Amino acid sequence: MSAFLIAQIVLTLFVFVMLLSSAAVMVYAERKVAAILQQRMGPYLVGPKGMLQPLADVIKLMFKEELRPRAADAFLFALAPMISATAAFAAFAVVPFGAETTFFGLLSEPLRLQVADVNVAILVVFAIASMSVYGVVLAGWSSNSKYSLLGGLRASAQMISYELSYGLALASVLVMANSLSLSDIVNHQAGTWFGVVPRWFLFIQPVGFLVYMTAGIAETNRAPFDFPEAEQELVAGYHTEYSSMSFAMFFLAEYINMVTVSAVATDLFLGGWHGPFLPASLGWVWFLLKVGAILFFYIWMRWTLPRYRYDQLMRFGWKVLLPIAAVNLLATAAGVLYFGI
Amino acid sequence: MGSDTLFYLFGAIAIGASLAVIGQRNPIYSVLLLIASFGALSGLYILLDAPFVAVIQIIVYAGAIMVLFLFVVMLLNAPHEETEYDERVHPLLRSGPTRFGVALAVALMVELWWALTKGRETGGFPEGSVSSVAAIGRSLFTDYSFQFEVTSVLILVAMVGAVVLARREPRRPRSPGNQ
Repeated sequence: MSAFLIAQIVLTLFVFVMLLSSAAVMVYAERKVAAILQQRMGPYLVGPKGMLQPLADVIKLMFKEELRPRAADAFLFALAPMISATAAFAAFAVVPFGAETTFFGLLSEPLRLQVADVNVAILVVFAIASMSVYGVVLAGWSSNSKYSLLGGLRASAQMISYELSYGLALASVLVMANSLSLSDIVNHQAGTWFGVVPRWFLFIQPVGFLVYMTAGIAETNRAPFDFPEAEQELVAGYHTEYSSMSFAMFFLAEYINMVTVSAVATDLFLGGWHGPFLPASLGWVWFLLKVGAILFFYIWMRWTLPRYRYDQLMRFGWKVLLPIAAVNLLATAAGVLYFGI
Repeated sequence: MGSDTLFYLFGAIAIGASLAVIGQRNPIYSVLLLIASFGALSGLYILLDAPFVAVIQIIVYAGAIMVLFLFVVMLLNAPHEETEYDERVHPLLRSGPTRFGVALAVALMVELWWALTKGRETGGFPEGSVSSVAAIGRSLFTDYSFQFEVTSVLILVAMVGAVVLARREPRRPRSPGNQ
């Protein structure tokens, strides 16, 4: 086996482990930030400042009993969490998170910090995101419980509605970058205007960024759009009947989806790994910082805004967000045609 | 694993899943098997060096349309296909849709036989045209713009039709003459 192949395998494993641990970090961060916003202590007993709390949670979940309602569809009930978790991991495969590097001369040819460089990368992310809805929907249906079913139905309607705006926001960036490859889009944002302002698409596409983030929150079922699992109405929504590790898989999928949405937002709008002060080989530090900032924003939103009403969500998605996204795409296309960026 | 092996693998999944779709009594499983079949088809497109078509296949068919199918099946919550006909009668002698289905199946068999024996390749695509998004977009909006626009009108008509069919009659105020 060539060194390049070994490096590729190591990279794949690294991304897998990194996503797993990012979910743990997110659980800790969510509880700590929530605690700070609510003037509480948060977890502080397990490990220094409670940092080992997620580990304790995982051990607790593993020792719980795996329950299945008698009326549930056994096959689909087992399949649903697998679909959710698989889709969550698979989407990150095409997301680049750093510039090409030889690992300080370790490799003869530079390796791209991305599991698979597909030339339609952004569409692959979109396709896998549209597959992840099946995990939620099937979980809701196969549990054979009314709360689960309602959660599943809400999830499918919500994700179909917001996928359109999500796709249109992506399309306006594609038009600007003239490419479907995520690494091309990131490299398009290298450099600065007037020597100070970074050439991020955020500054040319502020509307696109807002639409993308709003639709992204709705796609990942996060507050204030967390209708599929609205505790006050649906107990726990689509995963009401799940326990132990199959519940953990949904939990994991939700956090990994958030990380993926944030990573794609960083690549599309925030210039990916490009940033001042650091050499190109340390670009991933910038990438991590930007993704972390978006994730913090996610948590901040959850503990600040109350949940909307379901009809408000639908009306907003179809009558506000979608027209804005469509007009934005038209304006972008016209601008590119006129100015020839 | 060579691309031949992958071709046979995806082909077998596509055919097996499609057959299982019509062999299923539970509509939810039919929907899922159809998604599996679409996934295998998209694998075949990748083998044909057309990643854009493959991804679009997943986004449009497996992602959007089948979610709607699943949504409807779940809302109706039909656990099993309702059989209205008499189980004792031979399938070919049953009334209505069954006979129509037989006619369609015969037509399909004839077409398949024709395609496998009489059909021949109608020339390849120019190099790179199926894998390049720009080339597909350009030919859609120049050479095939009429067909493209007609299709969009067709879809619009279908949408209007669906709205008309699904719309409830507005409740009229009752007047004595209306009864």
